[in-house]
Amino acid sequence: MEFIDGPLWYFSLTVFSIGVIWRLVPLIFGKRTTDLSVARGSAASGAVKTVLSRFIPHKGMASQVSMQIIAGYMFHLGLFALLFFAAPHVRFLDEHFLGFSWTPMPHWAFIVASQLAFLGLLMLWLHRISNMVTRLISTTGDHVGSILTFVVMLTGCLALLESFDELRLLHRFSVELFLIYFPFSRLMHTFTFIPSRAFTGAWFGRRGVNS
Amino acid sequence: MKFVSVLMVLLFISMPLALSAATDEGKGERAVIVANPGADLWRQVRQRDMAIAGTSQIKGVDSSILINPQADRWTSFRVGMLVEYGQIVLVAIAALILLFYSIRGKIKIEGGLSGKMVFRFSDYERVVHWVLAIVFIFLAVTGLILLFGRTLMIPVLGHEVFSVLASSSKEGHNLFGPIFLVSLLLMLFSFVRRNIYARGDLTWLLKGGGMIGKSHVSGGFFNMGEKTWYWIVILIGLVISASGLILVSPNFGQGRIVMELSHVVHASTAIILIAVSFGHIYLATAGTEGTKEGMKTGYVDIKWAEAHHDRWAKRCHENGQVISAEDYARLQGKMGPASATSSSAAVEEVSS
Repeated sequence: MEFIDGPLWYFSLTVFSIGVIWRLVPLIFGKRTTDLSVARGSAASGAVKTVLSRFIPHKGMASQVSMQIIAGYMFHLGLFALLFFAAPHVRFLDEHFLGFSWTPMPHWAFIVASQLAFLGLLMLWLHRISNMVTRLISTTGDHVGSILTFVVMLTGCLALLESFDELRLLHRFSVELFLIYFPFSRLMHTFTFIPSRAFTGAWFGRRGVNS
Repeated sequence: MKFVSVLMVLLFISMPLALSAATDEGKGERAVIVANPGADLWRQVRQRDMAIAGTSQIKGVDSSILINPQADRWTSFRVGMLVEYGQIVLVAIAALILLFYSIRGKIKIEGGLSGKMVFRFSDYERVVHWVLAIVFIFLAVTGLILLFGRTLMIPVLGHEVFSVLASSSKEGHNLFGPIFLVSLLLMLFSFVRRNIYARGDLTWLLKGGGMIGKSHVSGGFFNMGEKTWYWIVILIGLVISASGLILVSPNFGQGRIVMELSHVVHASTAIILIAVSFGHIYLATAGTEGTKEGMKTGYVDIKWAEAHHDRWAKRCHENGQVISAEDYARLQGKMGPASATSSSAAVEEVSS
């Protein structure tokens, strides 16, 4: 128990922090070839446009990917709400990291957010293994990431009563595994999706491509 | 010296008392019994066969109910009949299935599978099916822990471990319950059109779906057995969901009697659904050859379709929807790119 609360917690935080920085620094500050072409449009506006426009599916694709879009929003919004607005998390961040807090979600909102997140994640993962294309392009790492996320959410919800230290430790242990795995997996898209969209958008924007 | 004298006197005085206490040991009947002055009153109250209502300054549902005799009946049902008969039903169904399997074995397709496949379930339909299945299994396991844990698990695990398990099961059960309802509604809307009973279904039922005897039983896209399972899931699932929502939301004004009745309905119908699901799981996996492929890849062997759903298989043949084993392997990514002679049905399926 002391190992989970102590050394393993600090180890996982260190791996997570250094790993994320190690992945992001070359992406943002790495050398790129200079674009010598004559600019036909603004790279900055292209970047902003692409970052925002990718939140909505393309017209031609919307009907075919509606389930993935709805489930994707359910999962990501639910998870975001749980991570930053669940009362135990707000208290934890206040006491251990930030020194200040904000108003947490009421209990009913926590339940709704977790249900949306669970249903969304289940649908997304099942679609990943059901659809022949997504099944072929998925790696073991994708499945491990999905399962770890599910386990973290599940152990958190099972410990919701905060009555048993064993359940809290189980949740923390799963979070520690998640943090250690995070930088080496596609879970990094949490941090890379905006730079990635911006880079693509800027490239298109400079060439006057309406993407 | 004076202190020792006093001690001797005290010892002398206390000896008879100590002797008296020693001789009284084991004679509890002689202990002084003080009658509870309220016993007669409570006995009178308990003899009434209805909730005793009074007045109270506390405003709330049932806050003025002094004693609810119904609760005793519910408690004895909950810890007695429900647990006892619930276990018997589940064990009996599992045993029957095992017995049937040991006698009949896996039902094979006559002549074996052909390798030629036909598309049966879309990605969305399989996702809906598996979401419902996963959530149902989770709820069944956590629900059975809560229902039978006191009698079956405490003797094995002990109170401390079981209390952790029970607490987490209760939280998980309450959390996933509404997800079951949502997935149930998705299942209802996705499959309802093909599960309406039609002509020929009764014949299927009378022949036991081909289990009885060797004669072939005609079936459409879904046969009578599958349709009946579907409606059992939908209807009992809705009852379980409604009673579960009443139990999980006690702040909407429902009284204790409503809660107790909801619990009885919830647990009883859940046991029935779990028991019937054993049959569904058995038939879809170990019971029949080629069935699970439908929910795994979306495709089934045409020989399987002809054996269990001949009217649908005939339509598939007529519409040219049967694809070769090679095309199927390509669709599953087990072979190289499709040749120019690939079946149009396969290409159509990929594009959809």
